[in-house]
Amino acid sequence: MEEFFKLIPDKLAEVIISRLAFDKINELRIRNARPVVIGYDGVYYYLGKTGLMKDAAAAFVSSDNEAERIVMRACERSLYTVTDTLRRGYVSVSGGIRIGVCGNVVVGSGGTLALKNFSSVNIRLPHQVKGCAAGVYARLASAGLCNVLLISPPGAGKTTVLRDLCRLISDRGANVLLCDERYEIASCRDGVATLDVGACTDVMSGMDKREVFEIAIASMRPDVIVTDELFGRDIDALSKAVHCGVYVIATVHARDVADFKAKAEYAEIISNNIFSQYVEIADSPTRSVRVIGATA
Amino acid sequence: MTNKLFILVICAAVGTAAGFIVMKTYKRKHAYLVGVCDMIGELKRNISYRNDSAASILGAFDTESTQLKKNIGEYIAYTEAKDGKLDISRGFLSSGDHAKVKELFGALGTSDGASQMERLNSFSKLFEDMRDKAGEKSDKYGALSVKLGFLFGLGVGVLFL
Repeated sequence: MEEFFKLIPDKLAEVIISRLAFDKINELRIRNARPVVIGYDGVYYYLGKTGLMKDAAAAFVSSDNEAERIVMRACERSLYTVTDTLRRGYVSVSGGIRIGVCGNVVVGSGGTLALKNFSSVNIRLPHQVKGCAAGVYARLASAGLCNVLLISPPGAGKTTVLRDLCRLISDRGANVLLCDERYEIASCRDGVATLDVGACTDVMSGMDKREVFEIAIASMRPDVIVTDELFGRDIDALSKAVHCGVYVIATVHARDVADFKAKAEYAEIISNNIFSQYVEIADSPTRSVRVIGATA
Repeated sequence: MTNKLFILVICAAVGTAAGFIVMKTYKRKHAYLVGVCDMIGELKRNISYRNDSAASILGAFDTESTQLKKNIGEYIAYTEAKDGKLDISRGFLSSGDHAKVKELFGALGTSDGASQMERLNSFSKLFEDMRDKAGEKSDKYGALSVKLGFLFGLGVGVLFL
């Protein structure tokens, strides 16, 4: 909470503190010279002096360089600490806050060199909801440890469910290796997880999940690897990990199982039956969670 | 006779004290520049390995120079303020040296790792040259100013007699 208020202009912080419930804030979208938008309890509003509003005309308007100010605050005015993640379009802040950043991309022969002239930021707040994965865990536990893929559209809460699932599995004694590539699942600060990810969880923060799959298996000998946001490029490393006998619990962006299966980049996952259980999380307002066997 | 001797001793002591003050100013500047060079070295070491923020590196950095401690405090306050302006106090520094120190603090954290290291390397060279010159001056003129102060005080004392 404190980290979040350090990032944003005082006038926004004052309204949020006095008029809104912090727990219901999903994200804050700040675009240079545009009205401020807030994701609140799964619905988007403009943010103004009186709090949430539907009318953009009465909303706070960001300054011309507010996005840059927020990025500089997020990195404690040390851009070199976030150059790598900025190239991938985000900055991680302690407390599990992730800031998505847009701006001008500087491209070199090796790909994206840098991101400059930041134009907008999306400050996403993590929420630890203990017990939100209890139902999923109960269903999965009956079949024993297996490879599980959580499927949901962005912003539906799959990271929250993943974190809780990780905690539940870990607290029951399985050695869990958590690949927290973007510092938002465990949100480690000075080597200590600030969000509860379980008693038997080892956290590898900031490392590409492909490297975690290949390197950390040998060094940490996990029973389960938990990771967020799989993409097509991760499939090879994921397959190797599964073939090593390690269980994987991961998330992926898709509307539902059918949508996931229709994506060509994941064809190998489906043809090789890597995951035996899918967990479908619906978008707000329902956010219903459904466990589906891969063979269903 | 006792009074004359007393005046002589007082004048010599005042002259020596004045020379001592001059020596201290040389040493103070040298200590400041030694601190700046050490600070740049610490920044380079940390950025190439731990990659901590400049404020946290400087927060853990210790120096003998009171003025540099103050400047570091000012930099950290700037990084912690939401919309702060970098204000590095001049203290005993000449305007030229002050401008260079301001440029150094102003350059911290404004670029990616490779560019930051390049800039720190160029600052390192600049401030090492300044430190060496200040050290030479301090060695050469520091002790000399005490001796000259003593002699000048003695001379003034003799004139009083």
